[in-house]
Amino acid sequence: MTTNTVVSVSGLEKTYGKANERQYTALKGLNFTVDSGEFVGIMGASGSGKTTLLNMLSTLDTPTKGDVVVNGHDVTKMRGNQLADFRAQEVGFIFQDFNLLESLTAEENIGLPLALKGTPSKVMDQAIHEVAETLSIADLLQKYPAELSGGQKQRVAAARAIVHHPAILMGDEPTGALDSTSARELLDLLTTINEQQKMSVLLVTHDPFSASFCQRILFIKDGQIGSELRRGDQDRSTFYQGILTELGTFNE
Amino acid sequence: MLGKLALAGIKNRRRDYLVLLAGLTMSAAIFYMFANLATNQAFLKANAAISSANVIFGFGAVLLILITVVYIMYANSFLLSMRQHDYGLFMMLGATRKRVGELVFLETLILGTIATAIGLGLGLLMSKFLVGFLLNMLGLHLSHLTAVYVPAIVATGVLYVGLFILASLFNLIKLTRTTVLKLLHSDELANQPKVKPFRQMVQGVLGVVFLAAGYWALASIKALQLAAIPIALVTITLGTYLLFRATILMVIRALRHTGWAKKHLNGFLLGQLNFRVHNYTRMLTIVSLLFAMALGAITVGSGYHRQLPMMAEKIGTYTVAVHDKNAREQKLIDQLHIAHQATYTQKRQGKTVYYNASELAQTPVELRAYSNSGNMNDQKLYTESLKKFKKSGISDLDFLSLALGKVGAYSPKILTAKQFAKQSGKVVTVTTVRVKNLQQDLPALKKLNQLETARFSQPGTMTVGNYQNYEMMLAFFGGLEFIGYFLGIAFLAMLASCLMFKILSGAPGDQRRYRMLYKVGVRQSLMRHGIAKEIGILFLIPGIMGVIDVLFGLQMFKPLMAAPMSPYLGIGSTFLIFIGLYAIYYLITLALYWRIVLPQAPND
Repeated sequence: MTTNTVVSVSGLEKTYGKANERQYTALKGLNFTVDSGEFVGIMGASGSGKTTLLNMLSTLDTPTKGDVVVNGHDVTKMRGNQLADFRAQEVGFIFQDFNLLESLTAEENIGLPLALKGTPSKVMDQAIHEVAETLSIADLLQKYPAELSGGQKQRVAAARAIVHHPAILMGDEPTGALDSTSARELLDLLTTINEQQKMSVLLVTHDPFSASFCQRILFIKDGQIGSELRRGDQDRSTFYQGILTELGTFNE
Repeated sequence: MLGKLALAGIKNRRRDYLVLLAGLTMSAAIFYMFANLATNQAFLKANAAISSANVIFGFGAVLLILITVVYIMYANSFLLSMRQHDYGLFMMLGATRKRVGELVFLETLILGTIATAIGLGLGLLMSKFLVGFLLNMLGLHLSHLTAVYVPAIVATGVLYVGLFILASLFNLIKLTRTTVLKLLHSDELANQPKVKPFRQMVQGVLGVVFLAAGYWALASIKALQLAAIPIALVTITLGTYLLFRATILMVIRALRHTGWAKKHLNGFLLGQLNFRVHNYTRMLTIVSLLFAMALGAITVGSGYHRQLPMMAEKIGTYTVAVHDKNAREQKLIDQLHIAHQATYTQKRQGKTVYYNASELAQTPVELRAYSNSGNMNDQKLYTESLKKFKKSGISDLDFLSLALGKVGAYSPKILTAKQFAKQSGKVVTVTTVRVKNLQQDLPALKKLNQLETARFSQPGTMTVGNYQNYEMMLAFFGGLEFIGYFLGIAFLAMLASCLMFKILSGAPGDQRRYRMLYKVGVRQSLMRHGIAKEIGILFLIPGIMGVIDVLFGLQMFKPLMAAPMSPYLGIGSTFLIFIGLYAIYYLITLALYWRIVLPQAPND
């Protein structure tokens, strides 16, 4: 494993159901890597195994077979507190349904990963305000999630995901619940974070527009990687057309 | 079809319904236990030492009804919050409001009726068990006390079914006025209470004033008479409510801005409490009152239990007097922890009993100085010279009681040893024993007294020795003692199930929040500690307030428990036992909460 690989997946398999019952295999021997600082998209139709894959990567679920190494940690070997600490320190998450705690203000939500680490409150305040500036939500910090729009909520969630400088940022359909303007803003922000902070981003989506912001796209079909598309030097709209064409033939 | 759907909906949420049903059942059972005592006029008349017991029970019943109303309101809103999503779905699928309304009405009513029926059964069992257990433990015999009392069954049934009909109507109205969309997305908001500093200041000050008025009313029960109780109930309730409203939120707000709040899950804990305590103010107020009443009742009950022997010790000069003791009685006497013992020979003839002066000179008769101060601790024992004794001490009631005939006491005469030897008459020896501690020797004394009274009958209105005094006082105050324990346990059960139920009803909402924390990478142990703290604080707030209420409230019993008794004597151990029971409830709630809320790790 080279140092500039953030995620390395080999022979990943996931089977649901017990041995003597009817089984369903969601992932069938997946292999891929994500380099440090890369912006990778994973695409596929509903039921193709995208979310299962993301759950494996983020240790919310355990694989039946195979290895997942994230930033040098073999997540399949971890147990209990190690898993929790791994999620808290190495990974940042953005979910489709925001997953903000509505009993906390935006500021407290963003500060949560740092509080878990036991960061001194001064350092914490500084980190929160830095990330809030980056995502232009500085004026929303004292508000509760119920007082924010969908786009604002997702930006707060993004701030929470990157405030502790994780090795990789994972998004599960982060634009799924947003209108097109908010979605574009968020994706622009993710691109900025990726470029400026050299943070690796892994985006799971079935929306070609979202995917067109990535540098490389893996297409999953029936639990296997069907094909791969690289953006290279294309501009975004050309890449978008390319994705649409690929999708058009991929699902045939 | 809709009925089937509704039934399927209930099946899916079996566990929530079970919690709801269990809570309501407990409530009905406890209400029956209380009604069983409160409505049993024969029992009250026969056993309550004070005429005001009836009135106290009246207030107790009103209070319990109020609590029940609030309890059912909470239960009902919990039920509605569980079901409104389903109802919204039915309406979206095209069911008419009328049809859904019928469903709501029936569902609430059926659930309520089942809970009442089971609750009554449970209440009967609990009454039987508790009554038996308490009477056995306290060594009491109370007449007219049965577990099955029809008027109480009727009262409980009517109240509960009536309340559930009201609740059903309320649900019906609320549901038919809410839009379908609101029903579908009702559980996604957490309201954030606003803080208005000036108003809260006023509330806080008013709260303290009301509390002070209530405590003052309790302390001056002698002047206010029975009016003290309703005054105290109203003012303390209001005061507690206002104080909670004013202070708890402020404290949480203040804590949120400290560095402490930014460590680990503390911020989350405060956020949870912040929006929870606001909803809980009423509940916490009620619980603190119930806590106070339960603890107060048990404290008074155990006060009587512990202090009656002390009181009896201060009356009279000896514990028992045994005439012509036989071997069995001597054996029992040997078991006693004796402070003073004397044996005199009597010769009884006609209406006169003769004593030997030399015996009296050798062991002088103990006398008690009855002072006018009313403080029994001043009433010391003393002895006097034979010469003096012949003049005054000889007419002491306790001395006279040593020789009782069928009609009354023999009149005593003291003769010199020579004269006494010549005097004819029936010879009786009497042994008086004073024990060091009445409480300690109660079992042996009881047997001794039984043997004595079996052999020598005495006039029914007279008592000999302070053991018999104690038995009489026990008959007199025992009813009060029993009521104290009984109410204490009933209130504790009610309060704890109230609190437990209210907290558990918030668990489904928390499930989502803890799931989020889990995803963000919070350790299980950290979540466990967080929950323990959160629920602990919710238990602690009414606990502390309740203890303060009791400490002031015991003032009320000062006139009833005159010195050497005191409502405050030895309350430490009672408090400890009570708090132990309360802690057990806390642990049960915590365990249930953990089970509902904590996300399971995938590899477990």
